[in-house]
Formats: sequence, structure tokens, C-alpha cells
Amino acid sequence: MVDPKVIIRMGSHAEKDYIEKTARYLDGIIVAANLFEATQGATASLLGKKLNKPYYIDPMTYAYGRNLDLIKSPQGKTGKSDFKRSYKELGDKLSLPFTSALQKNSRLTPKDFEDSLKVEESCKAVIEYQLNRIKESFDEDPEYKEYAAEIPNPEAIYAPYFYIEPDSPSAWLDLVLLLAKVSAGLEYKVPIHAIICTDEVMLEHNNFLSKIKKELPKTGVEGVWFWLSDFDELTSDVKRLKAFRSLVEDVSGEMEVYSLHGGYFSLSLCKYGLSGISHGVGYGEKKSVVPVQGAATPTVRYHLPDFHKRMGVPAIQRCFDGLKIKTPDDFHKKICDCVVCKGVVSKELSEFSLFGSMAYSTPISKRLAQTPAAAKRCRFHFLMNRIRERDELKKLDLAGILAKFESVEKKWSEQISVKNDMTHIRTWREALA
Amino acid sequence: MGEKNNFSKESLLLKPVAKYFRRKSFRWQREELPFYEHRVDLYGFSRVNELTIAVELKLYKWQRAFEQAILYQLCADHVYIAMPVNSIGRVDIDLLKTHGIGLLAIGNAGRCRQILGSEQSTVVCDNYKEIYVNILTNGEGHKW
Repeated sequence: MVDPKVIIRMGSHAEKDYIEKTARYLDGIIVAANLFEATQGATASLLGKKLNKPYYIDPMTYAYGRNLDLIKSPQGKTGKSDFKRSYKELGDKLSLPFTSALQKNSRLTPKDFEDSLKVEESCKAVIEYQLNRIKESFDEDPEYKEYAAEIPNPEAIYAPYFYIEPDSPSAWLDLVLLLAKVSAGLEYKVPIHAIICTDEVMLEHNNFLSKIKKELPKTGVEGVWFWLSDFDELTSDVKRLKAFRSLVEDVSGEMEVYSLHGGYFSLSLCKYGLSGISHGVGYGEKKSVVPVQGAATPTVRYHLPDFHKRMGVPAIQRCFDGLKIKTPDDFHKKICDCVVCKGVVSKELSEFSLFGSMAYSTPISKRLAQTPAAAKRCRFHFLMNRIRERDELKKLDLAGILAKFESVEKKWSEQISVKNDMTHIRTWREALA
Repeated sequence: MGEKNNFSKESLLLKPVAKYFRRKSFRWQREELPFYEHRVDLYGFSRVNELTIAVELKLYKWQRAFEQAILYQLCADHVYIAMPVNSIGRVDIDLLKTHGIGLLAIGNAGRCRQILGSEQSTVVCDNYKEIYVNILTNGEGHKW
């Protein structure tokens, strides 16, 4: 059994406030290198000085091995589609073959890494980027220059990684394993971790999973972060959840294992050896390798602690009568007594609706959108609960987790408005048992 | 699937249902009233008895209508599902009855008929109801 870590992935600088206010409870922060390049001064000062927490920089190398249109957007006055500035700058910093992929407008493939000298150079560049980027940024800023030498190293360094495509998994997995091995062999003084990024469908490919279990430890990396694109713990079936559990259980005997975009189910795998999870501030417990483009700001729903799931306000409120919740006190006893909920639902039960407040964001908006204040309440409430879930899991054994799931099913079973929202509890119970 | 409906889209159900409730004194009405992430297809208010109704229109998927109707009991005194008469056969009437949700059938000629009455919602929240009655009576609804 491992005490699990909760590492928050910062998705934008607008989230700085949430991270700063909850930092003392968190185990670390992870920032994508493209975000770093887009906001380097602010991110460097946050990670290098203000937070004083373990940090990680995701080098995002996989983006250069996917359809490159996914990292383009309309640029300048002409609106012509070109590479986003952040990926261009990152590519330049990571040097070959990343720069040439952008120059040629041709994505990287395993063939680009056939030359062993180039592989080593590439691994070095990716590692040194993570080791030195914040220091460089401090060096460039007269206000922060004097602190550059004091910047701590990242908690771990990621080897370059790519999305292991389900239609040609062998070639891509071999490349990822090679990059992990070469990186680990370079003997930097910081632990080297691998990222295994593939599609969730690969959880049904036993040969593929066996190869990871067998070959990954041979690379010499000290940790691995699994990212199964689109793997949704809430809707996945028992078979895939069990396969993930088995992967974690087997690999954790050899190294630290993390879930790069995981939620409560992943976190509970600490009973099978998982060291931690990372996710965003109120989202990101699943992630696709295909980035969301041009979508409206998603609604941050209320994280229902019993279900470890975010849900709409009315579906929960509809249960109050059935659960005999008549007062704020009842609410705090039966739904949530975190500091946010105690502050929001303080005088009247109806104040719960403040978690779902909606308004027209502009005078010409046709659709209602969640108010920034409601989103803020939901995000802070989520963070407080995630921290509590982590702390509870440190104390609970597996039997305790399963018993808790059972009592949740019993408590909510008669509540018609959430009937379809709690099916994952039974699935998780089966997958963990 | 049952018999083919004469209604090609949900919005065609609105007119007969709105007319039906006007006859029942719900003269203040609003279509597509937002309720969090949902939209109540028809919300109505009767000055006569100070009651509100919420109606969910569906061509076929009555289970989805039921999921929404259950939530609308938070904001309306009476909640109904309205469907074309040809789709009514598939509906679990007992389930609707257990939860106090009414059912309306719209005939192919556009006539609306009550199949199951709705019961007064036991979970209606005064704050939602007040807001919606205000919206309806202060210029954002239609008075007929």
C-alpha cells in the first residue's frame, strides 16, 4: 500500500489562484511545456519561487508525433493557420527532430529515431529542457535573476514520449521504451520517469500489456505515468478497469506508478501500488490526445463526494427530500461539510443552488452559462474534496473502500434523479474487489 | 418503435399543448425556459390558482423525458410529459404515477388529451417558482 499523491495539472494561468490557495495540501504541480512557453515568466515564478512545491514539466513531445494540424491555429491578421507560438518555441527548445518536424510540416514517426546518436541527443534535449527551463527564465529576468541558482529541480524528469497508436502499437511502444531506456541511462541526478500514452482500447490487448509489464522495468526508469486517451473511469467497464488495476499492480512492484489524468478510481488503486494521480482544477480526470478546439467553456459541476463524480445541481437537490435533508446542518452531515459548502450553504438549504448559478455572459448571449462565481465555488469544493479523498484513502484499507461503496449504493438507491449517475460505484466495487 | 407519428419534430407538439394549458387557465406561458443546463419546453403559470406547470415534450424517448420531468418538479407545481398519441404505448405509466408526473397524448389532428393527471410536486422550491413566475409575468412570457 502506498500513500497516494494528488498532483494538480495547471491548465491555464487563470487557475493560479486555486493552486496558490490550496498548495499547502497538494503533493505537487504539473505544467505542460507548451503552457510554460506561452506564459513563461508567470509560470516560472509560480513553480520556481511562489509555490515551493514539488513540480513536474510535461514535455508534450507526443504532440509532434500526431497530426500537426492539431497544434495549429489561425495566426496574425491574415488568420492563416500556422503552428501555435507556444509549440513553435517549445520545438525550438527541444531541438532536433522536433524543430524539423515543424519546418517540414511533417509529424514525427518511429523512423525519425532510427539513428541512435540522434536518439541520445533528443533525450538529452528533452531532459535538459525540464531541468533548466525555469532557471533560464529566472536568468532572463532582472527581478528574479538572483534566485536562479536556488531553483529546485523538478521532482522527476520525463523521457520523451509519443502516443502509441492502436493500429501500429509495436513500433510506437518500442520507440517509447527506447527513449525511456536511453533517458534513464544518461544518469542525471533526478529520477527519470516514462509516460505511456495510448488509447484505452489497448487495455484489452493482453500482449501489449504484458510487453509493458515485462519491458518497462528493463529501461531503468524510476517511475511511469499512464495516460490512456479517453479512458473514463466513470463509464468504463469492469474488464478495462480490472486490466488497468492489473497493470498498476504488476508494474508498481518495479517502479512508481502514476495516472496522468485520473480520478478517484485511479486514486483508490493506491491499494494496488499506485503512487498518485494528476488532474486539473475541477476537470481533466480523463483526457483525449485529440485536443478540444473551439468549444465553449465547460460547466464545472458540483463534485458529489459520495459518488466521486461531478453532477448537475438539480439532480442532487431533487434527492434532498428523499434523503431527509431539510436544513443546512442536514446537508453538511449527508452531502458535504467541506469549508466551501459550510460557507455557501450556511443559512438556508436553497443556497445550494449557488453552485449552479447561471447567467447570460454578454448582453447578446443566447445561451445561459455558469457564472464565474459558481464555477469558483465548484472548483474549490472539488479541490477540498479531492484532498479529503486522498487523506481518507491513506487510512482506509481495501475492505474499507468497498464497504464505503456499498453504503453509498444503499444510501442513494431509492433516489430516482441520480439512478443513472451511480452505476460506476458498483463497477468500481467489482473492479477493485 | 411503434407507429409512425405525424409529428416530425418536437416543436410541433408545442402549439396543441400550450393551447390545452391555456384552456386550463395557465395563461402565462414561456417556451424553452432555462433551468440550469436544461430547458423546460413549456412553463406556465395560472393566476387563478397560483400554480405552475412544466411540460417536457418528446416524440419517442419517454425515459429521457422522465429524467428531465423529475428535475422539473423542483421548479413547478405540476409536471407533465407530452408525447404523440402513437408513442404513448411505450410509456411506463406506473412509473410516472409513482412519481406524480402527468402524461398528455397529442393526437394526429393536434388535439391534446390527458392520459394521467399530475400530482402536486412535494419538492417544489419556492425560490425557483418565484423567479419563474416573475419572469413570466414581468414581460418575458406570453400572456394569452
